[in-house]
Amino acid sequence: MKPVNFDYARPADVGAVLALLDDQSRAVKLMAGSQSLGPMLNMRLVQPDLIVDLTGVAELRRVEETAGDLVLGACITHADIEDRRVPDVTRGALPTVASGIAYRAVRNRGTIGGSLTHADPSADWVSMMAAVGARVRLRGPSGERTLPIEQFIVGALEVDLAANEVLVSVVIPKLSSRARWGYYKLCRKPGEFAHAIGAFVTDPERGLCRVVIGATETRPYIVTDARHLLGDVAAGGPAHKVDPATVDAFMAEQGMHDPVDRQIHVTAFRRAIEQAR
Amino acid sequence: MKGEAKSQGIGASVLRREDDRLLRGRGQFVGDIKLAGLKDVAFVRSPLAHAKVHAVHVPEAERGRRIFAAADLDGVKPIVAITALAGFKVSEQPVLAVDKVRQVGELLAMCVADTRAQAEDLAAMVELDLEELPAVHDMVQALEPGAPLLHEHWGDNVFLESAMDVNIEAAFDAPVKITRTIRTARQSMAPMEGRGTVAVWDHRMEQLVLYTGSQMPHIVRNGIAECLGLQQRQVRVISPDVGGGFGYKGILLPEDVCLGWLAMRCGHPVRWLEDRREALTASANCREHYYNITAYADRDGRLRGIDCTAIVDSGAYSSYPFSACLEAAQVVSILPGPYDFPSYRCKTWSAATNKCPILPYRGVARTGVCYTMELMIDAIAREVGMEPYEVRLKNLVQPEQMPFDNITRKHFDSGDYPEALRRAMAAIDLPAIRARQQRGEPDGRLIGVGHSIYCEQAAHGTSVYAGWGIPMVPGHEQATLRVTPDGGLEIRVGVHSHGQGMETTLAQVANEILGIPVDRIKVVHGDTEYTPYSTGSWGSRCAVMAGGAVATASREIAKLVKGIGSHLLQAGSDDVNLVDGKVVTATGSVSIEEIAHTWYRRPQDLPAGIDPRGLETTIGFKPVRDSGTFSYAAHAVVVAVDPEAGDIELLNYVIVEDGGKLINPMVVDGQVYGGLAQGIGTALYEEMNYDSSGQPLASTLADYMLPGPTEVPAPAIDHMETLSPYTEFGVKGIGEGGAIAPPAAIGNAVNDALRPLGAELYQSPMTPRRVLEAIRAARQRASAQTVAEGV
Amino acid sequence: MSMTHIALTVNGSPVAGTVEPRTNLADFLRETHNLTGTHIGCEHGVCGACTLLIDGVPARSCITYAAACEGAAITTVEGLDNDEVATELRAAFSREHALQCGYCTPGMLASARDVVLRMDNPSEYEVRVAMSGNLCRCTGYVGIIRATMSVLQARRARGIAPLSGAGREGLGPVGSGHASAMAAPAAAVAARAAGDATPAVARSGSRAAASGADSDWKPHTTFDQSFTVRHPVDTVWEFFGRLSEIAACLPGASLTGEPVDGHVEGKIRVKVGPIAAEFNGVADVTRDEATRSGTIIGSGKDARSNSATRGAIKYAVKPGATPDETRVDVQVGFTLTGVLAQFSRSGLVQDVANRLIGAFVQNLEARLSPQAEGAAPPAAAEFDAGSLMTSMIRDRLKALFAKLFRRG
Repeated sequence: MKPVNFDYARPADVGAVLALLDDQSRAVKLMAGSQSLGPMLNMRLVQPDLIVDLTGVAELRRVEETAGDLVLGACITHADIEDRRVPDVTRGALPTVASGIAYRAVRNRGTIGGSLTHADPSADWVSMMAAVGARVRLRGPSGERTLPIEQFIVGALEVDLAANEVLVSVVIPKLSSRARWGYYKLCRKPGEFAHAIGAFVTDPERGLCRVVIGATETRPYIVTDARHLLGDVAAGGPAHKVDPATVDAFMAEQGMHDPVDRQIHVTAFRRAIEQAR
Repeated sequence: MKGEAKSQGIGASVLRREDDRLLRGRGQFVGDIKLAGLKDVAFVRSPLAHAKVHAVHVPEAERGRRIFAAADLDGVKPIVAITALAGFKVSEQPVLAVDKVRQVGELLAMCVADTRAQAEDLAAMVELDLEELPAVHDMVQALEPGAPLLHEHWGDNVFLESAMDVNIEAAFDAPVKITRTIRTARQSMAPMEGRGTVAVWDHRMEQLVLYTGSQMPHIVRNGIAECLGLQQRQVRVISPDVGGGFGYKGILLPEDVCLGWLAMRCGHPVRWLEDRREALTASANCREHYYNITAYADRDGRLRGIDCTAIVDSGAYSSYPFSACLEAAQVVSILPGPYDFPSYRCKTWSAATNKCPILPYRGVARTGVCYTMELMIDAIAREVGMEPYEVRLKNLVQPEQMPFDNITRKHFDSGDYPEALRRAMAAIDLPAIRARQQRGEPDGRLIGVGHSIYCEQAAHGTSVYAGWGIPMVPGHEQATLRVTPDGGLEIRVGVHSHGQGMETTLAQVANEILGIPVDRIKVVHGDTEYTPYSTGSWGSRCAVMAGGAVATASREIAKLVKGIGSHLLQAGSDDVNLVDGKVVTATGSVSIEEIAHTWYRRPQDLPAGIDPRGLETTIGFKPVRDSGTFSYAAHAVVVAVDPEAGDIELLNYVIVEDGGKLINPMVVDGQVYGGLAQGIGTALYEEMNYDSSGQPLASTLADYMLPGPTEVPAPAIDHMETLSPYTEFGVKGIGEGGAIAPPAAIGNAVNDALRPLGAELYQSPMTPRRVLEAIRAARQRASAQTVAEGV
Repeated sequence: MSMTHIALTVNGSPVAGTVEPRTNLADFLRETHNLTGTHIGCEHGVCGACTLLIDGVPARSCITYAAACEGAAITTVEGLDNDEVATELRAAFSREHALQCGYCTPGMLASARDVVLRMDNPSEYEVRVAMSGNLCRCTGYVGIIRATMSVLQARRARGIAPLSGAGREGLGPVGSGHASAMAAPAAAVAARAAGDATPAVARSGSRAAASGADSDWKPHTTFDQSFTVRHPVDTVWEFFGRLSEIAACLPGASLTGEPVDGHVEGKIRVKVGPIAAEFNGVADVTRDEATRSGTIIGSGKDARSNSATRGAIKYAVKPGATPDETRVDVQVGFTLTGVLAQFSRSGLVQDVANRLIGAFVQNLEARLSPQAEGAAPPAAAEFDAGSLMTSMIRDRLKALFAKLFRRG
């Protein structure tokens, strides 16, 4: 199938993007690498009047380092991160996760902003960015606001982004040398969507102790203070055996009713811990 | 020179003639064909599985101009694929639906525009007035009393019932009796290239030219001519480069007929390229079987009898030419496989359901049959406490029985089945695996070993298909051979090569006999205008049949060459030999080049009595017995099952194959590798589900999971090469075999791995969820047992 | 018709043309420039057949639009004739029998070339993972992996070092970022030859509704629930006769007209991520005084996605334990058909639909509760936003997203 016909614009700056978004007379859809939107357009599931291509905005391809953070423009690709064309401030966590997203040919165009805005619960960035404590900067007609990922992701495929706003950058905290992380996803084959994701990041120096159980049927379960789930690992200790019953109970509490689902999520989480680095 | 010439004949792994164009993106697939004025077609399809069609509302301005519905298609006959089997019920598949739709994706209107996108815009303008009817979404449900009826006048949903009973009562007193229900999933053949058709009316030739990716261009021509009421001379079917078939391109689609009708009417070429969504959900599926089977055995593992009922989900219509019944009817005759046992009963139904029609996919019914039979053999082994291979060795047909007629009167031409199994077991090193299982794995995974064995009846011909009575019965396979004026060779065959490498391997056959170098031989195929009639490429028949035809014709050409050569050498025709492309006597020689030059360019040098056929012949071939060659293989596999995640990894895979004489071992290995990949898909990944309203639930390749590079191991392959007594060079057909055994071998390995947990799986694909659910069920049974014992 | 002018480089030569913005790069190359070596296998970015080189690295040409490649350098398989790595790969592919039908081959070569250039000293498994975005249905990948490994190893043995990122230096999606800005056409909606304005809805909807009596129809998913309200049975029975009240209890639903003889038009709005669907349809009501039971059957169609939904609410009211209590038995069922339905489902539909009926029943109870009697209907937000219907459809769609659009 081919998409419906649509108009196309490629603004040069965010201001022009916002001006186009302001047009109430037509259905406007933002496009970055088109790796998520493309299939939906091709199946006519999305039928926009106007596509606004964000890749002409130089600001969105920019990378900045501050004392405590790395700020990635929304149009930075998975391959940019995988290949370390942007600095790694996460002790390898982000490049490692990036290298497992979809396929190389997709990673060369798929973007971090597009992925987070799409907010698929099975997406790697949704879980890992939440685990690392990243924030997103959203710009609208009345200025810019910053949200932590766990507030930005409202639900499956739903984010706190107004129709007249655009995600401009992702702010990633620099992890200290004492930080540890783990990430494990259960897929049936590489590039296939995850059936279960376990992720954690601890950094005693930044007071970070987060666990994310992703690829759930709804938004990922994000635990911002996960000392009770992480045990010794939180304190920088060796990887230990996770108590499956605790995690299982946690997920049941969150509303995951199917025991097989819970089992594979426990497994993914436990393996993330076992692979702590 | 002699060595070089020999190295291109039978048995040489000659690199493929077709590779270069494909590696440079210069192949020509249907979608690559550009004709001036070409327009694209998109179809309006039913969103419902079963509905009355009250109206198809086409905007008045477009009706009959750019959009066409059933009422516009005057004089087009529905597609009907009959069989001669008693009790068969006929379905009529209108090319555009008239009163009723019976599957999601059924065609309702045809839209034509400059581009596919614009044609889809037109399709979106068509309004459908459909009254939804309850759908038959499952083959078991289809047979229940009171089920909704697809074809009301039938009175039920059964295309055909087949049955056989050979002394089953004699097995009833067997000490071991095991009953299982076994299911295989509906699948999509999923060649990487979808279907596609470009149609144009050629006024000069008074001919409809239909370019379509087909395994059987001559059969498509039959069907098109019949549906459109044309003479055969008025239809030319060209099947260019084809991006994989596997059975999917062995069917006449209503789209083909629609495009033909449109091309005759609209004055410009038209094109329809099937998209992936159409391929998965609308055109055809395959493989969905249900078995309820009981095996009877003695305590020593000897099989006493098999008693089985089976259903094959045949979809809404009988597809042309193979019909809706081939598969279920085959189950009856092939279920016993390579086993020799005394009692047998089997009854099968071809069930009509509100799903797309089924096609014979690589392996056809054998994959499901092998899965069923081999899982039962292992169940017997577990029951009687023997190794599964020991049970198999007890029951396999023995080499000294060859040729062998089995319980369903299948004629096994040759082979040593126990030897194949023994070699496979040696290669997989069963004792080492058993020891490893005892030790356990550091990562907690469970190791299992499994194997399976099957026979592949290939190139079965007239005597078999006359009985089926489908629209296509293969007779003699013909080849046309012509030495060109420069001493090269043209081979024209009616089969089609779409990955099998026949542009190379058929040249090797001619090279073997004539000594003409392979790079001077051109194989012409895929065009009804240029090739002899053939039922096409299916049933692992091409090496045997087309190869046989080329060999037969090559011998005839050799006679003609020798006739002219002996004249040029002034020798008697009995005093010359053809050696390495030269006609030789004790004293001299003349090359085929010189002979060809003489025939074509210097006829004045030939005597009056020279054979007027010159250097060209068309001749047919049939094996001495046409009941088919029986190739076979034993597969053995070691798996690791992750009891926490449900994942199954294939650690080692071994195949011992007997395909008779191999024409090109490299190509044969390629067929085995590819078949294995598809078999792994069947075993572990591929599943076309429908919901209870008949909606297909896999409409993309993200839903329908094909194995990728990390899912398919490189197997070790060992060849036995027992010659068939009935064919040229002893060749046997092997194209499908690789896809037959893997689900059975992997299924047995998984059940072996799960044995300590008391879990068993009898449904493919063996997904992580099914594995985990089987484990949970076993644990629940175990704890219930404990509780019961405690009480 | 909306057209966009583009200029880019294809196989080293400048190419310019006018395209519809919806034209993907593969179609642009194939249809406009006859570069048919780029094959289309799925149009969803999954199979990899259309993989080619954009700015020197592999990308999918089926989900990359030509308009977005302004100024980019495209290399198709036809442009690799003299490429050193591709030449080595072609020889290896032939030698290792790494192709049969040849349809996936151009995409395979694009990815294999990237692997050879980029990866240092990978294991066979790593090469398999790196090639996993390209599907082959013929070869079982044996020859493909052997050929790729052999070229890679031979080059490393010759001292040719790997090239990080295959030499890419810029940031952002490949192919993008070369171009100057392009303004949108005036705020006129892109010309559509067809479609949305056409009310395909009413007709098919009314047909389905008119067949509400077709007792054969069975909803795909059905849920039964019973509850008791503290209200006399006559009042409850009367309440169920007021269609607008019932509709208000169904999340996401609203009536677009007044009920006439138990027949009413309505709609359900659904928005899931970027997908917006509006099911317009009709509902018919039947009531049986004798048994105090009734049926509401509704059906609607979303014109854009050519999807339809159909639902039935069956209810029966009976005297409760005391005279001022009424027992209500409700059965809610629904079926979704068409494009939106045709993806593998998550295991959660049961749970989601349970929540739907839970909310419906909750709303019913709220409306029937003594406190609400005579009071204004609950705030519109509670019923208008369709949050629950949204969540139902969303979860139904979830697998689609999860599987197709999981680009990290």
